[in-house]
Amino acid sequence: MATSSSPLLDVQGLSIRLGKLDQNIVDDVSFTLEAGQTLCLVGESGCGKSLTALALMGLLQSPPLAIAGGTARFGGADLLSMAKEPLRDIRGGRMAMIFQEPMTSLNPGLRIGEQIAESVRRHKGANRAEGRARALEMLRRVRIPAPERRLDEFPHQLSGGMRQRAMIAIALANDPELLIADEPTTALDVTIQAQILELMRELQAETGAAMIMITHDLGVVAEMADQVAVMYGGRIVEAGTVDRIFTDPQHPYTIGLMSSMPSLGDRRDRLVTVPGVVPQPGSMPPGCRFASRCPFHSPLCETVPPLRTCGEGHKVACVHAPLEQLNPVDLQETGT
Amino acid sequence: MTTILSARDLRKEFVTARPIFGAPTVVRAVDGVSLDIEQGETFAIVGESGCGKSTLARLLLRLIKPSGGEVWYDGEDLAHVDEGRMRSLRRDLQFIFQDPFSSLNPQMSVGALIEEPLRVHGMGTQEERRARVAELLTRVGLTPAHADRYPHEFSGGQRQRIGIARALASGPTVLIGDEPVSALDVSIQAQVVNLLEDLKDEFGLTLVVIAHDLAVIRHMADRVAVMYLGEIVECAPANTLYQQPRHPYTETLLAAIPVASYGARRARTVVEGDPPNPISPPPGCRFHTRCPYATDLCRSDRPTLTKLADGRQVACHHAETLTLKGLTSVEPARSAGAAARFALYAKGIAAATTAEPNNNPKSNV
Repeated sequence: MATSSSPLLDVQGLSIRLGKLDQNIVDDVSFTLEAGQTLCLVGESGCGKSLTALALMGLLQSPPLAIAGGTARFGGADLLSMAKEPLRDIRGGRMAMIFQEPMTSLNPGLRIGEQIAESVRRHKGANRAEGRARALEMLRRVRIPAPERRLDEFPHQLSGGMRQRAMIAIALANDPELLIADEPTTALDVTIQAQILELMRELQAETGAAMIMITHDLGVVAEMADQVAVMYGGRIVEAGTVDRIFTDPQHPYTIGLMSSMPSLGDRRDRLVTVPGVVPQPGSMPPGCRFASRCPFHSPLCETVPPLRTCGEGHKVACVHAPLEQLNPVDLQETGT
Repeated sequence: MTTILSARDLRKEFVTARPIFGAPTVVRAVDGVSLDIEQGETFAIVGESGCGKSTLARLLLRLIKPSGGEVWYDGEDLAHVDEGRMRSLRRDLQFIFQDPFSSLNPQMSVGALIEEPLRVHGMGTQEERRARVAELLTRVGLTPAHADRYPHEFSGGQRQRIGIARALASGPTVLIGDEPVSALDVSIQAQVVNLLEDLKDEFGLTLVVIAHDLAVIRHMADRVAVMYLGEIVECAPANTLYQQPRHPYTETLLAAIPVASYGARRARTVVEGDPPNPISPPPGCRFHTRCPYATDLCRSDRPTLTKLADGRQVACHHAETLTLKGLTSVEPARSAGAAARFALYAKGIAAATTAEPNNNPKSNV
């Protein structure tokens, strides 16, 4: 990941507060993203992956949410401290977002073509005819059949997969350098999901846009990511290149998550699970937030573990990594 | 193996629009489904949204009335027994819903919710019922003290446990789950899958699982029926179905699964287009509009579900001649260190769950 030029996006120490809770709901999240690369933020509900993305877009609902610290440098400017108006110029222009449920994020009362053209007029200063021409071109690029007709249709007239294509068309209309996709295929059927993932890969190769993809599905991660950041309880617990994360996972949570997934190979016995549930925001363990569910926890876990390098292009926030070198006697003395 | 529940030519039509002039718009959500579910097996029904799998599940327990066909359970046709008889049969046949929050009355305490089926079926005295509720709560990994709390106080996984306890209360023989784990996070999903499998073994249940997640099905099911636009297109034992599908739609579904293993990104055949509108399904084979192997025969003649030489059922004109791709070994490539870590983790979890009885339902039996 190390290059001489500065990365496209450089997030350092992003923290988000919820109301008066004294624990940050997103805590000290740092990552960088190079042009043309895909970073997958992966984790379960409530791990902070969507909040991280919303914070970058300046879309946090405030109050009760507020940025508690950190910077996010994107092309020389800090997204987190930027005033509303310049941020609006970037959002939808150089940086765009695709949401999970296209039906709730598309405007139900506007024709598809108009929704694309609107953003082109706003950001590129195009006139009506140019906007409409661009909308048609975009519908073609996301391979919507009969684009001339679809241009004048409303979102409810499209199927779920077509709506998600229309969303992608809106997001890509101004050639963004950074695309943030929040669970873009979670609401779709598996064959449609395969189509959309394929489309996103092709368009990314065409446009060279960088992408942050938020997902809970490790299958999607394996198919899409160059870089992976695994989140738990508002923190990144493990980060690295996609091959490192899948072939050499280090953090007990990453291992637990992978163990919980039913295998597509021959049937095995019981699934190995992650016991218990994610603690409520604000009542996380004081040190390592995964400690309350971790079979390897010890008194060492009562201080916040730093995200440290554990191999080339690979970082982990666990004091016990690598786990196989852990002395089993220590565990018995300190463990459950 | 004895058949416990079977459907014969089961149909359900929904009228979606009744114009003043002209014919009403009719969706054939389930269009002539026949299947036999064996006692003690886990039978899975898979398919994409709108294929009719949830409707079929509801028809099997007569939560909705079929438009035609029969459902046989223990010598009785559920489609035609009267309401009173059906109510008492529900003691044996129970349903688990996808979203336990919308299926549990928010104004009833958890104890009352689990006790309700016992009361309805006039089972036990009040004391006995209370003891049974406590036993059920413990059995699904909650505590007896939870009986006085309300559904909103629980997480999604815990609510699904409550839904399962309620379904188990009357001592059913058949449990049908409509996407019972798909609303849950991966780690919680694994807990509930394990719980369902333990309960099945312990009580000798027959489990029918409706799902769209093919990995969960692979783990749980003995046999799988694949549905497309209201009909079953293939029905086979899970192992053979995944290794060697015989219907092109099954092949398509399997190829679409994103595999959680590095380097698994495959050059795959992505099926084009959306599923057709079930209001006006295409003539001939319903999959022909998206099928890469379709011929003229497929466009004109509708294939029927036929038993092949190996006992598998397939509705495809070309089932005997096509060689389709299944899922070959997808063992994740892991470093030696990682393999050791996974083993240590599994051991650690096993040790922890024995120490904390709440996480291990088996120790509470």
